[in-house]
Amino acid sequence: MTSGPYNYSYIFKYIIIGDMGVGKSCLLHQFTEKKFMADCPHTIGVEFGTRIIEVAGQKIKLQIWDTAGQERFRAVTRSYYRGAAGALMVYDITRRSTYNHLSSWLTDTRNLTNPSTVIFLIGNKSDLDGQRDVTYEEAKQFADENGLMFVEASAKTGQNVEEAFLETAKKIYQSIQDGRLDLNAAESGVQHKPASPGRPLAAPPAARDPCAC
Amino acid sequence: MPSSDSEDFESADEGRSSPNKRERKKRLSSSNYSDNLESEQDNKKLEPVINKEASSIKENLPKDGWDDFDIEEESLPNNEPQKEETKASIVKPESSAAKKESQTSGWDDFDDWGNDNDNDIKEQPQKTKPQAQNIQEAPSSQQTSTKSDGWGWGWGVDSLLSTATAGISNLTTQVSQGISTVLETGIGAPDPEELARISAKNDTKPNSAEEKMISAETNHEQSNQSSATEGAFPFGSLLSGVTKFVETTGTKVIAGGLDTLETIGKKTMEVLQDGDPGLAKKRAMLGLDSGDKPVLSQVLREARAKADEEDQLREAKREAKAVHYETLFDDYEGLVHLEALEMLSKQVTIRIEERLRTDPDKRQDIKETLQQVAELCEMPDEEDEEEEEEVSEGASKGDALHERLQRATRDIGLKLQFQPLIKQYTEILTWLETDDPSITEKAVYKKAVSSLAQTTALCVELYHKTGEMLLVKSRRSTADEADALTQLTVVLTKHISDLATQFTEKLTSHATEDKDQVNNYITNVFLEAGNSSKYIENAFQLAIPIVQIGAV
Repeated sequence: MTSGPYNYSYIFKYIIIGDMGVGKSCLLHQFTEKKFMADCPHTIGVEFGTRIIEVAGQKIKLQIWDTAGQERFRAVTRSYYRGAAGALMVYDITRRSTYNHLSSWLTDTRNLTNPSTVIFLIGNKSDLDGQRDVTYEEAKQFADENGLMFVEASAKTGQNVEEAFLETAKKIYQSIQDGRLDLNAAESGVQHKPASPGRPLAAPPAARDPCAC
Repeated sequence: MPSSDSEDFESADEGRSSPNKRERKKRLSSSNYSDNLESEQDNKKLEPVINKEASSIKENLPKDGWDDFDIEEESLPNNEPQKEETKASIVKPESSAAKKESQTSGWDDFDDWGNDNDNDIKEQPQKTKPQAQNIQEAPSSQQTSTKSDGWGWGWGVDSLLSTATAGISNLTTQVSQGISTVLETGIGAPDPEELARISAKNDTKPNSAEEKMISAETNHEQSNQSSATEGAFPFGSLLSGVTKFVETTGTKVIAGGLDTLETIGKKTMEVLQDGDPGLAKKRAMLGLDSGDKPVLSQVLREARAKADEEDQLREAKREAKAVHYETLFDDYEGLVHLEALEMLSKQVTIRIEERLRTDPDKRQDIKETLQQVAELCEMPDEEDEEEEEEVSEGASKGDALHERLQRATRDIGLKLQFQPLIKQYTEILTWLETDDPSITEKAVYKKAVSSLAQTTALCVELYHKTGEMLLVKSRRSTADEADALTQLTVVLTKHISDLATQFTEKLTSHATEDKDQVNNYITNVFLEAGNSSKYIENAFQLAIPIVQIGAV
């Protein structure tokens, strides 16, 4: 847990949003623990998960904010969008209502994050194909129209879960390389951690963030 | 006014060597250095030293990264001859002299700089004349400086000075304009990273290479214009400075290769960028260059050594401080909960302020209410809270903590989860009670810091969750909430200091020879406990607006 505090070069903030019961916390659990959490309690406000991944040889720490889907927490969770580099917007392929609410979630995301925030649409519970209520094509079209990345995934089987999180990270990393995402902007959702040993001639690493309060 | 010296030279040059040289240049476009040599010998009958020097230079070429320039050269020859001709026809004396100068000083590789700018030269032949005159005031200083340079290229200095000073004015215009061309085309512009590094070294802070290039260019133009109007002296000195710079660095270029070119580009940009027409400053800057300034490769080597050193230092620190409180606190998600709480708190504060703004009639009322809540949230003096320890007899320490926490928050109207905190405390107690003699004092210390960090993270999480739940609570009871949170803070900070005490007792009980080290550990444990309390009080402060908004 405490091995090498700075063995990553970036921190990306993700936020997971979507209606109650679509499986946001389960997706996170599957991604961080590689396990399916059968009976997951309602999330209160926001919970967190982290995992270090590698993109283009760079270690990246994903700091994932898993928000409550309950309507009553909506005002609270809106406070947490700010500074997200990636937003995973989840619906349940077996419940059309969760799909119908996507435009409202998308509006929140667009209003409360940066233009550079990568939005990834996930149709969860793809293992329950027999109870499908939303077709892949329909969702794919919605995603394309709104410029979102899209997969159908299953937190239960783990299908496409890695992909969703990793593709988002790749896209964010690409934005950094292209200069579309300004690391110095206060709310880019990306923090650059210096002192990655692979860069011998990098400028002397800045001291650790002195704000210890 | 014109000092005859230079005039003579110019005409002599023109008559003798220019055309031949152009011929030769075409022939030997890839071996400019031997070209230099020939022309040197033609003119000066130099000592054989040159040959050695020159051949050594040639040997140096490939590894010095000059291949880039060879390519430049080869891609340009088509343009060169005709350009030369136009130049020669229009600014005859100057250009040929310049040509000569540039060749004798080994600068012909950069001819394309100047050639690209022939048009500029055409436009301002009058300008160049007065410069030429002014420049002649400088040669003495140039001589000394060049000599003190200590490069040991005897041939270069002598021949340069005699033949070259004459042509300096022309070279100057060519080169100074050429430099701006370089800046524009970016031939010699170091990439931003490189630049940043060099400038960090130089304690200057360029924003970006592009900006620098642009401003350098504009400044250059400005200085051109201003000097044309202001009168010649300042400009002349600038030019002499530049010339000197070019001369002295010319040799470096040969020796140092591309790296040095970067330095030149950079230095030149600095010089040009500096809008101050005062010569002193420029002289000082350039003076740095002619002296013992290390070349870029040297700088880089040093930077690397320094970085390595720092790496080692950091490694050592990590070893020594295997227990890093902040890192642990982050690992236990304390930091991110604090961040989330902060976001929530800010959001709520904005809403309160909005309410104050939009409701001017009730503003005073609202302010008073806010004030009252804030007062309710003031921490009681530690003394008057004199231990009303009426915890049930025989209860374990963990249960006692649970009881205190519940009593503190009984009126808050929420079901708070204290379990993680209790569970963690119980684990710590178990660890402390096991009497394993193999546990070193360092292990105790590590456990102490990690326990404090984890406890603090759990406390911060508790405030965060409480804040979230308060915001979605249907019926608010501000006074009770404020009181409960205050009590909670008292209990939690007390818990922290209890933990610290228990760990230091464990440390003290350790029989050891190294008393100093143990004392050191004890001090650190109390230090981190203080840190923990600060985090907790901070979280409490962040929660206050969340309580306040329930009342307004």
